[in-house]
Amino acid sequence: MSDKKNGISRRSFLKAAGGVTIAAGMGIPMPAHAKKPGAYATLIDLSLCDGCPHLDTPACVSSCRAKNIERIPGPVDPIPDPFPRGKIEDWSKDKDVVGRLTPYNWLFIQTAQVEQDGVKKTVHVPRRCMHCDNPACATICPFAANHKHATGAVVIDKDLCFGGAKCRTVCPWDIPQRQSGVGIYLDITPTLAGNGVMFKCDLCQDRLLQGKNPACVDACPQKAMLTGPREEIYKEAHRRAEEMNGSLYGEEENGGTSTLYVSPIPFDELNAAIEQGPGKPHLKPVTSKMAETAAFGNSVLLAPLVGLAAGIAAVKGASSKNRGEEKEKQENE
Amino acid sequence: MSDRILEEQGLVQRHTLVELTEHWAIAVSGIVLVFTGLFELPIAKRYYITDLPGMAWSGDFIFSLNLHYMASVIFIAASLFHVVYHGLLGEKGMLPKKGDLNESIQVIKSFFGKGEEPPFHKYLPEQRLAYIGMAFIIAGLILSGLVKTYKNLYAPDLSYPIVMLATWTHNVFFVLFILAFIAHMAAIIIKPNRPMVRGIFTGRVRLDYARHRHPLWMEEIADEGAATPARQLDLTDDEHQTADLSETDEEENNEPVSSAQEQEEKEPLS
Repeated sequence: MSDKKNGISRRSFLKAAGGVTIAAGMGIPMPAHAKKPGAYATLIDLSLCDGCPHLDTPACVSSCRAKNIERIPGPVDPIPDPFPRGKIEDWSKDKDVVGRLTPYNWLFIQTAQVEQDGVKKTVHVPRRCMHCDNPACATICPFAANHKHATGAVVIDKDLCFGGAKCRTVCPWDIPQRQSGVGIYLDITPTLAGNGVMFKCDLCQDRLLQGKNPACVDACPQKAMLTGPREEIYKEAHRRAEEMNGSLYGEEENGGTSTLYVSPIPFDELNAAIEQGPGKPHLKPVTSKMAETAAFGNSVLLAPLVGLAAGIAAVKGASSKNRGEEKEKQENE
Repeated sequence: MSDRILEEQGLVQRHTLVELTEHWAIAVSGIVLVFTGLFELPIAKRYYITDLPGMAWSGDFIFSLNLHYMASVIFIAASLFHVVYHGLLGEKGMLPKKGDLNESIQVIKSFFGKGEEPPFHKYLPEQRLAYIGMAFIIAGLILSGLVKTYKNLYAPDLSYPIVMLATWTHNVFFVLFILAFIAHMAAIIIKPNRPMVRGIFTGRVRLDYARHRHPLWMEEIADEGAATPARQLDLTDDEHQTADLSETDEEENNEPVSSAQEQEEKEPLS
């Protein structure tokens, strides 16, 4: 399927078909999400992260694995063949992989070889879920297995997830990773629907609720990561970006996120220099997926009023017509 | 005599233009909602539906969601219109009456040749029960759908129990809606019910059918006396012609109410 080609024609179709609906809904702007008090954000300062050269595995990655790996179940043997495509994603024998996102590895470090003022340097970029402000992955999960919590964390409930990977499809960075052969689908439709459980960073939601930092933040020897109240983190990120004459990533992406990268090197340069592929996300600018549904969605919210008003108007119309006809009749008589 | 009875054409007006519009707006948007709702499950790509000509969009969840929203606007507005309009006019013909359950069982038995049908009002007792059932399902879908839409646009971090309740209400009622739709289609396959099918397309049913099967309704029409119905189906001359032409299909028009009745019913029509 040619996504780009289809995407454009589909968008044009929607514009043409829904002119009236869009017009009704356009007047209402998309609001700010998840910026209430109590929401956290994380600042990742790329000028501080050195990728832990003294360690086999960077401290943030090890701490994440230490906290989470035991909670991630192993698959049944054999993993049922998902009908009809038979596509199984099994990372259970590759749990040790730390160089990309996997169901067993929710955080990894990307490296970019770049040049700044004629000097070659290596930039290390810790990558994990961005915990978007309006995460399409959570809002359109058909089973509400994925949810944006008041803390700002976007958390997949592994006991409810069917592993359909819809969340990965709508995630601009393809973050959630599937482990086949685990989860509730095995008890319901092991071959016809579902294909495991999707796993990704949950921002250590349990620790946040206890007033603690995510494990990776506490583990970082360079203090390159900072989690705190959203407003403060945003302020601090802007201050640092200004100070180093650098750039921010994550503030505008996908309509805003809870993760702000600050870098002295522009993100388009970093994006060009990092290795990309499955489980190795890009650093490109990203527009909001959910904003594409705002016009029609707002029209849906207005629809009850439209029906109500039309009903009242029609009754008034009917009774005045009735009165008119009765009058006419009386006059004729 | 009521204007609803078109003696010359052998027809009686069963539904107004408003009612037909309501029915078809809900029906067509409902079918679009079923398919776009199904495509919100990650099944289209898995089951090669995206490979069918013209179906590539079925794997695009954002596009399907927009189509779902568009159909919802019609579905919700038409449903609310229906409730407000008929509610304010005090039209309660579709609301269940006392004894409908027992009478429904009697009617269903008669479909299998056991016993006689009781005389009907405009609607069959099981139609009134089905209506309330469908209204309940549609109300559940609309309410949960509105919560989900609000969450999608304005409050992704809405309280998790509310999101869970809305999502699973929507899912369960979605299944109920499909089952109710299948039952609705099954009901019109049953032979004695078939003469009503033309009513939902043209607004009119055969007069002989109505007199035989819906005598209580015909009495109600008669009681209205010479009063002109306020919301009569306004047909243009062309439409009158189409309606007349459709009368030439004797086979279909003379769909027997019951085989014993067939001969008797044909007489007044010819």
